[in-house]
Amino acid sequence: MRILIVEDEPRLLHNVAKALREEDYAVDTAADGVDGLAKAEGCEYDAIVLDIMLPQLDGWEVLRRLRKRKPTPVLMLTARDAVKDRVRGLDTGADDYLVKPFDLSELLARLHALIRRSAGQPRPRVELGDVVLDSRARLVTREGQPVALTAREYGILEYLALHRGEVITRTALYEHLFDENDDTLSNLLDVHVFSIRKKLGRDLIATRRGQGYCIE
Amino acid sequence: MIFKSIRARLLLWIAFLLVCTLGSFGITAYQLHRTNQIHQIDDELQRRLAALCGDLVVGPGGGPPPGDFPSFEHNTNFPPPPSPRSGVNFPGLSQAGTKPSGAGGFSMLNKPIWISTDVLKLFNQLDASGYYFIIWTCEGELRLCSSNAPVVTYSGKISSEAGPQTRMRGDYRESRLQLPIGNQVLVGRSIADDLSEIKKFAFWLAGIGGAILAVSLGGGWLLAGRALQPVEKIGAAASRIAAGNLAERIAVANTENELGRLAGVLNTTFARLETAFAQQRQFTADAAHELRTPIAILISEAQTTLARPRSGEEYHETVEACLETAQQMRRLTESLLELARLDAGRSQPGRDLINAAEIVDRCVDLIRPLATECELQIHCDLAPAQVRANSDLLGQIVTNLLTNAIHHNHPRGEIHVSTRAENNGISITVADTGEGIAAEDLPHIFKRFYRADKSRSRKEGRAGLGLAISEAIVKAHGGAIEVSSQPGSGAVFTVRLPG
Repeated sequence: MRILIVEDEPRLLHNVAKALREEDYAVDTAADGVDGLAKAEGCEYDAIVLDIMLPQLDGWEVLRRLRKRKPTPVLMLTARDAVKDRVRGLDTGADDYLVKPFDLSELLARLHALIRRSAGQPRPRVELGDVVLDSRARLVTREGQPVALTAREYGILEYLALHRGEVITRTALYEHLFDENDDTLSNLLDVHVFSIRKKLGRDLIATRRGQGYCIE
Repeated sequence: MIFKSIRARLLLWIAFLLVCTLGSFGITAYQLHRTNQIHQIDDELQRRLAALCGDLVVGPGGGPPPGDFPSFEHNTNFPPPPSPRSGVNFPGLSQAGTKPSGAGGFSMLNKPIWISTDVLKLFNQLDASGYYFIIWTCEGELRLCSSNAPVVTYSGKISSEAGPQTRMRGDYRESRLQLPIGNQVLVGRSIADDLSEIKKFAFWLAGIGGAILAVSLGGGWLLAGRALQPVEKIGAAASRIAAGNLAERIAVANTENELGRLAGVLNTTFARLETAFAQQRQFTADAAHELRTPIAILISEAQTTLARPRSGEEYHETVEACLETAQQMRRLTESLLELARLDAGRSQPGRDLINAAEIVDRCVDLIRPLATECELQIHCDLAPAQVRANSDLLGQIVTNLLTNAIHHNHPRGEIHVSTRAENNGISITVADTGEGIAAEDLPHIFKRFYRADKSRSRKEGRAGLGLAISEAIVKAHGGAIEVSSQPGSGAVFTVRLPG
């Protein structure tokens, strides 16, 4: 999952990015509204964490402009907690709202739920035949037995599972799994998919030649 | 309880004054009327007494007797001696004859006494309440009396020199005269009717007075109520404001009278109060907002670090970040406290006569290393400028302005600092060659937490309170701070303090 954080306070930006990376998210960062909007429009993010008090272009404006082009889930992050501010945020098209100071665990849980909901999977547990994926515990079982996956393998499986039935191109998969600073070669994807098939069965992930991958 | 109300007390006072005025007026009128009535009765008595005595003294057939005759003719309507003297003799009668049309002749001492018909006409003997007369001999024996005379005991001789003497005897008014020949003549009348008429007049006066009092008090009550109605309104509005509705105002119908003006003054006060409250609320909200971000950093740093085992180096980094954030919070809270102190008005600081040039010079020395680090040149043009001010606070203003000039300057830029003595005070000017201030930001830069360029200030850990604090200090000194700027060519801050 790839997430954009737009926050002008450098320490907070650094820290939240670090926490999300440790949760195996691919994280991009922006320190002002203009940069944030450019990145949000240029990339396919699974969610955006957006501060309101931003230099150059404030959070409201970024959200307003982004909504004209993209439905990317947005979690507003702000020090203002007046009810009218929250209402305004949700009215402008924000999907969730978190007031500073916040608990990191709450931010993570909300982001997670946001991504799941936007992919049309309201429950954290996805059953793919005899394979069950628990996105809350980040645990995969096959016939009731836990299967150990690497972070990358889990990420690919989770993304495909959340978008079950869709054909996901290799580029899209790559974009959602690696952040802007990651220069991992895209053909490594094939290696990871091969590894997942070995652990969870050949038929779980289908390859559509020339198009991409899909979980039926 | 009721006498605590202004309306009641006002009315009570009016009532007191009215009762005094009406009372004294009524009593005077009563006395005047009574005196006048008695006086008229006395005049009538005198007239009859004189007429009667005239007849008695002159006698029926002769001229006036020899010797002194009490001369009361001059002050009574003494009728001329009746002429012709056609009299009727009532020999030996103790009562005047019952023939009112005739004249009586009575004996004086042993002689007959003659009273002319004209004089007798003055005494309506059929009327019990009419005028009567009684004549005693010098020994006090009843010599003669009119038929309507009540029983009167002889009360002894009176001086004949003093003229007629008037007295009250019960309901009777009587006038007596001692004649030189020894007889005492009394003329009287029952004044019971007059007295009851006077009493009626008194009741009538009291009734009129009571009515005037009632009407005045009723009118006064209404008038006082209407006059004090705005006070009730003002009180009601004030209590609504006290209950927290600061937007409430007193509806003023008439701004011309005293209460209208009072309401106007109160409304102005309430408006200022509301503004002050709103500013305070905004300030508190801003302060809370500014404190939230560093708290968010502290929490998220700690939580991220504690989420899994870390190396010593990572822990070190986290503690360092927390320390730096805490320092930032300390600066912020110190600034907030400083502003709170200045707001509380306790900043009538100890002022001395100081040379502003020396203070500025010291501040420039302190800040020069920072300027050098930013490749900036500071140029000073310091003329001696004596001012009565607090040197610490003045230094703080200068340091704030210099720090701003450094942070908003271009590399290799310049800062010009000057002090001047002016008429009635001094001026300190700090000018930079930075990016300047946009016209739309100029009116706001002294506002608390206002940042023209938010990203830049935030990175430097400054909350946007420096200029607000400077302005508060300058105001506490009774001075003014101004700024002018052309975007792109720097800003000029001028502080003016009264000498």
